[in-house]
Amino acid sequence: MSAEAPRSPAGLPPRDGPPYLEMRGITKAFGSLLANDHVELSVRRQEIHAVVGENGAGKTTLMNILYGLVHPDAGEILFEGKPVRIRGPRDAIAAGVGMVHQHFQLVPVMTVAENVVLGQEPGGIVLDRAGSVAQVRELSERFGLIVDPTARVDTLPVGVQQRVELLKILYRGSRLLVFDEPTAVLTPQETDELFEIFRGLVAGGKTVILITHKLGEVMAISERVTVLRQGRNAAVLETARTSPAEIARAMVGREVLLRVERDEAHIGAERLRLDGVKADSDRGLPALAGVDLTVRSGEIVGIAGVSGNGQLELAEVVAGLRPVTAGHVYLEGRDVRDQSAAERRANGLAYIPEDRHTRGLILPFEVKENLILGSQSKPPFAVHGQLRWPAIDERATSLIRQFDIRPPNPDAPASSLSGGNQQKVVVARELAEGPKVLVAAEPTRGLDVGATEFIHRELVEKRDEGLAILLISSELDEIFSLSDTIAVIYQGRIVEVMPSAAASRERVGLLMAGGSVEEVTPSAAQIAQAAALQAAAAASSAQDYASREGSS
Amino acid sequence: MSVATVPLEAPRGRLLRFVAAVVTPILAIVLAILVGGLVVLASGSNPIAAYQQMLVGAVGSPFDISETLISSIPLILAAYAVSFAFRCGLFNIGAEGQLYMGAIASTWVATTLPNWPGLPLILLCIVAAMLAGGAWAGIAGWLKAKTGAHEVITTMMLSYVAIDISHWLLEAGPMTPANAFGTPESGPIPPQAAFPVILPSWILPNARLNASLFLTILAGLVFAWILWRTPLGYEIRAVGFNAKAAAYGGINVARRLVIAMVIAGAFAGLAGMVPVWVQHRLYDSFSPGYGYEAIAVALVGKNSAIGIFLAGLLYGAMIHGAVAMQANANISGFLVQILQALVLFFVGAEMLIRWILRRGGLRALMEAAA
Amino acid sequence: MDIVGLFVTVFARPDLWAGTLRFAAPLTLAALGGVISERSGVVNIAMEGMMLVGAFFAVLVAAATHDIVLATLASVACGGLIATVHGIASIHLRANQIVSGMAINLLALGLTSFLMFRFYATSGTPSDIPALPDLKLPVIYGIPFVGAVIGDQNIVVWLSILAVPITWWFLFRTRLGLRIRAVGEHPRAADTLGVSVFEIRYLCVILSGLLSGLGGAYLSLSVAHSFSDNMTSGAGFIALAAMIFGKWHPVGAFLACLLFGFGQSLGINLQGTGFPDQLVAATPYVLTIVALAGFVGRAVAPAADGIPYEVGE
Repeated sequence: MSAEAPRSPAGLPPRDGPPYLEMRGITKAFGSLLANDHVELSVRRQEIHAVVGENGAGKTTLMNILYGLVHPDAGEILFEGKPVRIRGPRDAIAAGVGMVHQHFQLVPVMTVAENVVLGQEPGGIVLDRAGSVAQVRELSERFGLIVDPTARVDTLPVGVQQRVELLKILYRGSRLLVFDEPTAVLTPQETDELFEIFRGLVAGGKTVILITHKLGEVMAISERVTVLRQGRNAAVLETARTSPAEIARAMVGREVLLRVERDEAHIGAERLRLDGVKADSDRGLPALAGVDLTVRSGEIVGIAGVSGNGQLELAEVVAGLRPVTAGHVYLEGRDVRDQSAAERRANGLAYIPEDRHTRGLILPFEVKENLILGSQSKPPFAVHGQLRWPAIDERATSLIRQFDIRPPNPDAPASSLSGGNQQKVVVARELAEGPKVLVAAEPTRGLDVGATEFIHRELVEKRDEGLAILLISSELDEIFSLSDTIAVIYQGRIVEVMPSAAASRERVGLLMAGGSVEEVTPSAAQIAQAAALQAAAAASSAQDYASREGSS
Repeated sequence: MSVATVPLEAPRGRLLRFVAAVVTPILAIVLAILVGGLVVLASGSNPIAAYQQMLVGAVGSPFDISETLISSIPLILAAYAVSFAFRCGLFNIGAEGQLYMGAIASTWVATTLPNWPGLPLILLCIVAAMLAGGAWAGIAGWLKAKTGAHEVITTMMLSYVAIDISHWLLEAGPMTPANAFGTPESGPIPPQAAFPVILPSWILPNARLNASLFLTILAGLVFAWILWRTPLGYEIRAVGFNAKAAAYGGINVARRLVIAMVIAGAFAGLAGMVPVWVQHRLYDSFSPGYGYEAIAVALVGKNSAIGIFLAGLLYGAMIHGAVAMQANANISGFLVQILQALVLFFVGAEMLIRWILRRGGLRALMEAAA
Repeated sequence: MDIVGLFVTVFARPDLWAGTLRFAAPLTLAALGGVISERSGVVNIAMEGMMLVGAFFAVLVAAATHDIVLATLASVACGGLIATVHGIASIHLRANQIVSGMAINLLALGLTSFLMFRFYATSGTPSDIPALPDLKLPVIYGIPFVGAVIGDQNIVVWLSILAVPITWWFLFRTRLGLRIRAVGEHPRAADTLGVSVFEIRYLCVILSGLLSGLGGAYLSLSVAHSFSDNMTSGAGFIALAAMIFGKWHPVGAFLACLLFGFGQSLGINLQGTGFPDQLVAATPYVLTIVALAGFVGRAVAPAADGIPYEVGE
């Protein structure tokens, strides 16, 4: 692992001269929203360049424009000083751009090989299936990205799916690799591994753009960072000469409170207890393998874990939306195993679901209709089998005021609200009936700093009033800043429960990856893989350039 | 097969939503009339004359208005059946079969109890029609809830089965009258069970328009009342838009699917009874496809009670007007089917309408509505 | 009435089995078209309309030219043309594909009946139109029973059977087939790899129109030797059911079509035996429901089926 600046291998043009990629004056409006407003981006050859900004700052739009998925209203794109027209992904691929999207673009029911070769398949009219498998296998071995080319993608864990995405780009010989929030699904250790891969690729002649909102990653890996705020350039900084605080200020436009203020917890009686709970995933595979957990009044228990380790199933089992196959769930000491979701709600359970679009809200419903979801057949909203709209209006008006939901229009469809305000609707509704237990799954996912702060304050306030909160989050920062107790989940099991005061990030990170405390240093295998990767990338880039020179 | 893009949109303000809901169908109708005119022109006839004859034929006289209404009523009722299921996210394309079951059940009650007094018999027939239609649709709802069997296929298959059952009953089965010959048909509906004719004969002799018109208006009110004024309606709409979120809100999705289909089928059952009561007996193949045209009526009416009522009147007028047009202008009455298809097409292809409106300088309005 | 004896007699008739193949052929062609279209992500319930248009224009051109090749080509082309309309609505205009399909069906019914009145109002379609030929197989024709079942079948019957493996090969073994399935499952993934979602979908919708059009031509030219209003009478919808019953797979769809063909043939062979043939006619539909609820189970449709693709959402 070398920390020094990467050198150009033989056969590559020198690094100085015009920037490798330049995007100039990029402007794009979606309706009345200006997603990109004269955005500039300049990336050097063999650089790891971070693009950061809050949700909605325009990072993804900018990258989609680079990849031809979105057409800009104005602006131009230059490669090595020469303007290039990118009308679609086909042009982007031809220009050497490869992109790993935040939501993987993989066809779940097809094999790894089919996914990799799609669009540039070997063969004539007939697909050369053996050839695809062989080529993908060769590629995966060359870059040390181990994956079975004949496996169906939907059987692979997310970390491996990411490798498939990487293979897709490498198969096309891309030289500029764009990664959109690649670490969201990874443990801290897997993130480190991915960054090793980045370094190897760059040393081999590739250029990397990393889109992220995590400042730690920016500091750890990037050479320079472009900060976007509300669709505009906020800063371009040399990573070595900046600080997380400076980047954060540029992102938000003001000083940011990086920690949530909260007093000592006043922990009371047990409110929620899980006892040996087992449950299956949607695909019928065991997802919870015997969970024991207790949440008490006035306590926030944070579940730390890489997403996909049973968090969703855990939340749904408590909410009554997923049957348990073994074990018991107790709400205030009462076994609610056989109670429906509606009955548990009536007994004081509230649930902020992980995905507000598919679970938490009915988007075409008006805000006021969404604000009574779950209470629609109870007084005062329903009396004698009829809805009472005045009571519904009244509830809406008061919650909209209390939670500062904008626009303050109870008749607006929920779909017309911003993400932050949509989430406020969910939180307002869930807290409105005075619950005893709250399950909050990813309560601030995709929200900007302002909305995140608001929701964090609200949760802490309710905890101080005695609410028992089970917080599920894949953001370690959120877990650490809110939890009184941290429980780590791995492969459907709570592997350790500790007071947050006694928890360190390293330890939690390791537990999340299923490791024990002994393995702290990278394994020899990891180091070997990084070396192999570097060599392979160098060879392929040299080949690409040679063939490009030859053909032009 | 997905109906994820069920055209139930919800633009911002209430007023704009209303405008958008009204403007699109009206423009779709205008476009359809224009394109239909081109078809007539291309086939060598005069489109103006065709439309004139159709209009006069539909509403040119009190008698024609009465007949137009008679054509509209089963369409409106069946469209409520399509639309109610639609509101629960179910595509009920089998209203035709539900309507057959309603017709069979009500006819069977009426012909087996010929000595009952009028009012109880009528009410019993209405209940029988609604129950039969509801049960038939309920099968599809139940299968959907239990096994996930797609309702587009099950309702369609159930339609074919219902129609085959009616063929059997009328051609070779227990409902065939003893002295039957010629066209298969049931025995007559007892006169005391008939719907009273609304217009007295001294105003309009031979008018056939009967009290089923009031029943249709009542059905529309019930349709809207359930959907917008009851928790059940709230829950049905919630399931229709987002079943996962509805389950999260404590709603029993499977049960709502079944209930929605049963209620939908009840509307269709009623739609099947009405034509029988106009013709005073159940004829083999009595429906000219009410259940299928109802899909178009429901879509053009934007799934609202009042919209469906108006769209049903329009379609009824076209159907009745076509008779006069074919007779007087010598143009095939099937022009109506072309018009209906075009209306449906343009309503479906809303983007086209938006584009036209933008060209017409109504850009601001439509963008706000979109 | 001895029901067992009756069925033994009927089942021993070669007519029953020959009829099964005959009735299944147009269904198979349409259902295969449906498979191709829906595998690319475009819901197609408009096979009925496409068949009807094919049936009418086959007769119109056959009557005008007395050329069977031209007539068949015309029917195929018209099927493709009306499929293009469905394509424009559902691909470019992002209309609800079920609504568009219903509109196409109604339009086809209206248009063909309208033109029927315009051209043949008084007399009906002419009787001297050429038919698609039957293929008399030299040796097989002589074999008892087998000869009567397959020895003298129409060329379209053979074409439809041949189309099954070809469709399978096309979808699952060719490069284009891989792209089609990718577009139907995850159009965005395909798009990000430079595969044009729109091109693929248009191609598939139009292919389904061509196949349905041929099925229609067979119905009018070879089965009925004429055209009459709404003569497909639901065949396109049965093909749709067969496609779903067959789990969007060419072979499955074909088997389902054989089942429906058998049901129709059985109904006809039972006519005049005193057995309620109206109820026998309903058996395939009941079977479909039972199968759908029991075996086929929850949706196995291509993941993006029916969802219009929007570039750069």
